[in-house]
Amino acid sequence: MKPTISTLIEPYRSISIIGMCKNAGKTTVLNRIIRELAGGGQRLALTSIGRDGEDKDLVTGTKKPGIYIREGTLVATASDLILRHCDVSREILAATGVSTPMGEVILLRARSDGSVQLAGPSATSQLARLREDFFQFGADVVLIDGALSRKTLCSRSVTEATILCTGASYNKNIDTVVEDTAYYCQLLTLPETEDGALRRATAELDDPRATVIAGEQGSWTLPAGLAVPDALRREEAAGACSIFFGGALTDFAVKPLIMSSEKLEGLTFVVRDSSKILLSPDNFQRLGRRGVDLRVLDNVNLVALAINPFSAYGYHFNKDELMARMEARVGLPVINAREDAI
Amino acid sequence: MITLTFAQKENIGFQYVLDQLQPNSPYGAQRVRELGPLQPGDRPELTRQLSNIQRTLDGEDTCQKALRQMLRVFMTVKDIRPTVLKCRETALNEIELFEVKCFLLRCGEIYPLFQEVQSVFQWEGVSLEDTSPALDLLDPEGSRVASFFIGDNRSPLLRSLRKDKRELEEQIRRLPAGDQREELQARRARVAAEEELEEIRVRKELSSALAPHVPAMLHNMDMIGEIDLTVEKARLAKRYGGVMPTLTRHALDMEDMVNPRLADLLRERNKSFTPVSIALERGAAVITGANMGGKSVAMKTIALNVLLTHCGFFPFAKRASCPLFDHMHIVSEDLESIDRGLSSFGGEIVRFNQVMRQLSDGFAFILLDEFARGTNPDEGAAIVQAVTRYLNGQNAITVLATHYDNVVQWGSAHYQVIGLKELDVERLQKELTNASDEMGMRLISQHMNYGLYRVEGRQDCPRDALNICRLLGMDPDIVKIIENIIDKP
Repeated sequence: MKPTISTLIEPYRSISIIGMCKNAGKTTVLNRIIRELAGGGQRLALTSIGRDGEDKDLVTGTKKPGIYIREGTLVATASDLILRHCDVSREILAATGVSTPMGEVILLRARSDGSVQLAGPSATSQLARLREDFFQFGADVVLIDGALSRKTLCSRSVTEATILCTGASYNKNIDTVVEDTAYYCQLLTLPETEDGALRRATAELDDPRATVIAGEQGSWTLPAGLAVPDALRREEAAGACSIFFGGALTDFAVKPLIMSSEKLEGLTFVVRDSSKILLSPDNFQRLGRRGVDLRVLDNVNLVALAINPFSAYGYHFNKDELMARMEARVGLPVINAREDAI
Repeated sequence: MITLTFAQKENIGFQYVLDQLQPNSPYGAQRVRELGPLQPGDRPELTRQLSNIQRTLDGEDTCQKALRQMLRVFMTVKDIRPTVLKCRETALNEIELFEVKCFLLRCGEIYPLFQEVQSVFQWEGVSLEDTSPALDLLDPEGSRVASFFIGDNRSPLLRSLRKDKRELEEQIRRLPAGDQREELQARRARVAAEEELEEIRVRKELSSALAPHVPAMLHNMDMIGEIDLTVEKARLAKRYGGVMPTLTRHALDMEDMVNPRLADLLRERNKSFTPVSIALERGAAVITGANMGGKSVAMKTIALNVLLTHCGFFPFAKRASCPLFDHMHIVSEDLESIDRGLSSFGGEIVRFNQVMRQLSDGFAFILLDEFARGTNPDEGAAIVQAVTRYLNGQNAITVLATHYDNVVQWGSAHYQVIGLKELDVERLQKELTNASDEMGMRLISQHMNYGLYRVEGRQDCPRDALNICRLLGMDPDIVKIIENIIDKP
């Protein structure tokens, strides 16, 4: 018996749904959660990081499912979308002061069932505040529909749990879909650093993108232009235990380290969150082989992987094969988003 | 019209004073943005504004709690002027109606607090309208909850449409995905469209019912802005020591004026601002002093406080009498644009000519800071002398700061920067014998008195420049030669 999504998310009060690509099935999953939770007496609240719920994908022009909510649901979305594209009877509760290209984000309560389109805030701090507003207005569960390439916004500072959606739309080659998804899951769930001193040092940085070497002698912020391998040879870096990369950890930055003769074993590399890791799977593994422990300040609590075997571009995979291969590669509950789809 | 450029306002410290205002409401913020000098014809309005500041200062302690509470509500008010104006022409959408309702709810909170505050302050020309009839339109049940919903009871048609829609929704809930559900969805969408049309009709009805209340709402917005600004002006008056000015016909008399920008700047360096006093009648007054010594500070402080008075602020002074000018002009070399392709001297003259052209039309306040400094001393002195003589006979108060000595007898009054006058130079010189240059500079600025004193009758020009040379350790042989030249011209 496979678990339902609602049992997987049951312990959490805030959940985000993110996708590997467009048309990965985020909205389908969202609709499924809405349906599974309906009648359970829980008050749902919805918002989105990007724009969601439109009939057609505005980028690819493909048909997309709409978001159909139940009476009593709380929704935060842009004013233009409320006025033009929502057909629920609604009570306006608050204006959040957050503006989007489609108007200010407005908080409303659905006074009937119906369709909505979502466009919410896009900054972490705004989302966290909105989540609290939702709770104040009586929400039991907050669902945040994440958009493409906004992975940063689902860290645990915003939502307690995250569902990742992937599927045939990502790539025509099933091997690529499985491998990339597995790698991505690995990045999302990298452990958080337990080094409290380093955490404090990074919170006080003047330049959030600076590189910091921490060790027995306290922390040392690298001057601009000093490469990490050179810095490690300096006296200041003696006894270094961890290196914090404030900017992105790229192949370009990591290659000289992998090639260098410096002893990397036992070192911990820390980045803010997994979105800052722009490494090829190869280089990621090489770092591991050199004994580097890669960690993040904020990670994501990934509770489920949802797969969509149908592509928006007209082809599909065998759903059982995709399911089996994903389950074999990923240590997470895997759910077919399209199974008995609404 | 008093028109100063932004650079001039910045330079005299007016912008700094504006920046110190922290209005609580968007309407107050708008008042600050629109703040400008009033004209002699606006004397009653200016008197009203100034007396309201005085009333605020007098009554503040009596009703501080209610005032603070009212200002806190001000902070939650949004600027919805365009929305309110719109409802005269077209149906407001539900978000706009929500905003109007929120504003009216705030007005409802402000109203009793205002009554309490006003019973103490007795502000002139300030009133609030009771907008509860308008609020009743948007909140017929009187729940006073800050949310907006077009309720079923707004129209029988709306009620029946919503009932139909709900029945369809309940059927949809029970059905699995499939053609039957799709068909019901389509039917539901059609009812929802009808519902929307009826909602539009209701919103139109509501908007036109609100329209007669628009003047009251706009009035309250204005008044919130007015109160906000008055309270802020009072706060600044308290902070920097402002005083209710007497508005005179021609006499400008201010005692111990302060310039907040310079005062704050000096405080940061652990120094204090020397207050400036001046008493002027129609005519040209001359301020003289050595180059290190505070003429510009005095000019800026005078200009600032005259301008503030015209903008309905208390001037920052112990005592203030100020006439209302038709024009105010500041001519200062460092403020003249050199990108017009003129030398700084040329720029000054062009600017001065503009001032002269306006001279015939009204009472003017003219500040000339180191006029003609940029040309050769002989001609410069002659120019300043002529300008002083000429302006002395005009319908204007002119203040000239200059280091040309032979100008003073042509002015109506002569002020001198106190400078090192009260100092025992010889004793200080001994202290300084072994001091470094830097320390010399510091000692001089410590002992320099930037205040003004009025010079009565003819008097020798002080020798501060020479004293500074001595104190900074100039070769005694050269100092001797300078003394000889000065004594035997």
